[in-house]
Amino acid sequence: MPKSILEVKGVKLAFGGVHAIDDCSFHIEEGTITALIGPNGAGKSTMVNVISGTYRPDEGHVIFDGKDVTRLPNYVRAQHGLLRTFQISREFANMTVLENLLVVRQGQTGESLFGALFRAKRWHAQTRELVAEANEILNTFGLYRLRNEYAGNLSGGQKRLVELSRAVMAKPRLLLLDEPMAGVTPALIERLGNHIVELNTELGITFVLVEHNLEVVEKICSRVVVMALGKQLADGTLAELRSNQEVIDAYLGGGAHERVGS
Amino acid sequence: MSLILGYVATLLVTFFTYNIFVIGLNIQFGYAGILNFTVITFMAFGAYFYAVFVMPHADNSSQIFYILGLHWPWPLAMLAGIVASGALGYLIGLIALKRLRSDYLAIVTLATGTLVYGLFGNNNKLFDGWSGLFNVNQPFQSVATNHPNQFSWIFVVFSGLIMVVVWLFANRLYASPLGRSMRAIREDQDVVDSFGKNSFKFRMMAMVIGSLIVGIGGVLTIQYIGALSPAGWTTGETFVVWAALLVGGRANNLGAILGSLLVAVVFNEATRYIPQVPSHPNLIPNLRNMIIGSLVILSIWFRPQGVFPERKASFLEVPLVDKYAQGFPGDEPDSALSPAASEA
Ligand SMILES: Nc1ncnc2c1ncn2[C@@H]1O[C@H](COP(=O)(O)OP(=O)(O)O)[C@@H](O)[C@H]1O
Ligand SMILES: [Mg+2]
Repeated sequence: MPKSILEVKGVKLAFGGVHAIDDCSFHIEEGTITALIGPNGAGKSTMVNVISGTYRPDEGHVIFDGKDVTRLPNYVRAQHGLLRTFQISREFANMTVLENLLVVRQGQTGESLFGALFRAKRWHAQTRELVAEANEILNTFGLYRLRNEYAGNLSGGQKRLVELSRAVMAKPRLLLLDEPMAGVTPALIERLGNHIVELNTELGITFVLVEHNLEVVEKICSRVVVMALGKQLADGTLAELRSNQEVIDAYLGGGAHERVGS
Repeated sequence: MSLILGYVATLLVTFFTYNIFVIGLNIQFGYAGILNFTVITFMAFGAYFYAVFVMPHADNSSQIFYILGLHWPWPLAMLAGIVASGALGYLIGLIALKRLRSDYLAIVTLATGTLVYGLFGNNNKLFDGWSGLFNVNQPFQSVATNHPNQFSWIFVVFSGLIMVVVWLFANRLYASPLGRSMRAIREDQDVVDSFGKNSFKFRMMAMVIGSLIVGIGGVLTIQYIGALSPAGWTTGETFVVWAALLVGGRANNLGAILGSLLVAVVFNEATRYIPQVPSHPNLIPNLRNMIIGSLVILSIWFRPQGVFPERKASFLEVPLVDKYAQGFPGDEPDSALSPAASEA
């Protein structure tokens, strides 16, 4: 049986009276690309926030790689390789694209005060290597030419690519993408999809993808978890779910997949 | 002649100390995005704690009261003053950096400033209240007493050297991965956290480092003048430091130099020596504030990044063959998004 890298067990989270997540459980297998789908307001973004540690659940557990991370702050989870991107692009606007990538790498010598001041030779050398590495990543994402541009000056679609390449630079084991395809052109959707598959097969990164576009889901995701009203409703391949009446009622039937973004 | 020399020396020392203040604020605001609206409180902390560490025990019969009075040698007292200012930064950081966003932090710093000002002013057991401290021991004391002009020039060199060290430190910090992380926090703190960096720790570092540096400027100020009273450190002084940073250019230490020269020295200090108009004693100071205020408005209007904007980072690199070169006609950013066409 394949190993689950992530388990969500009985998570509940309410904002005042709104039960955004109401007893939700599912698991993600290592090395897969899994879609998290569901109508608007189902609690998908909230779930991404709970898994990544931005929110603490009222009840339940998040287990990453066999370790209960429910109580750990988000930056510690990230250090273990559990990373996320945001539903809206959040680039470091007044830094260059290249710098956006350089920032996120863990364990640089020059990140401590002592290192920054007294081990300049070492971090200069490290930075040179990181620049080369970042340029390779940017090149595969078609951003190489824009590497010295301020990230804030890029177009919306380019910012999405920066988000993804920045996440790659951080060497994640599991990457949560909250609607990476929202508001981007069809050509770019195709391209982002190909990148995700490549990163999955070549680097072995596990993906959890919140996505409305079922064509994309069909094409790149091997498994789908459906959420509605804060609960997991079902999981399986998209083909299996298409014949599941509950899922059809809650989501697939209503033409909800026609909606772009949210 | 000696009068002019002394005047020039004072201007230079003012320039150097303000430059140190501005660099300290730059590390907090320009690097890490921390809004510190009470720069002058840190300066006062540095100055006062230097004073009470270097002065002899208070002689109560003279009706002058202050705490400690340890009579340490001035270099050690100087360290004590700097550490005191850093410690205040740490305390404010503990209160405000953990939970509060930058705008709330700004309010906490303002409140702290007012609190400390009132506390130091109204409580004459601490630092002798509103009358402040006089006859504070200076470095090179015998020169200071016997040859004031010579002392001024020694102090120009002394404060100039310290300024250079601070400047080199700030620039290395800026270029380092630590500085880069601070700037990323300035851009988006949550994202930095979500990539596995404890943004609280980095912000705290910027807060404390900035406070220590402002403290250095504070110690230099009282060492040079030999006296300081709370009347001299109102919110207006903080504004001068902010104005210098904004006009000169934040996140660029060249901007700090230009800004402190322009605002702190030309507009602030030099106008002090314009003869007073007897019927309107407040005319000159008010005029000065108006000029500095207009300068800030003009600069935000016409040059929002300051005279020296933040420099774009550039790296030594081996050029790559651009895989998608065909996909970028260059001028239109959006065309980059359809290199799928060129891949085919
Ligand atoms: N910070 C918040 N405060 C209050 N209510 C929230 C907050 N975030 C989400 N919600 C509510 O929780 C529910 C789930 O939202 P969300 O997770 O964004 O859904 P999805 O991403 O699936 O569209 C919605 O009803 C939303 O209004
Ligand atoms: Mg959402």
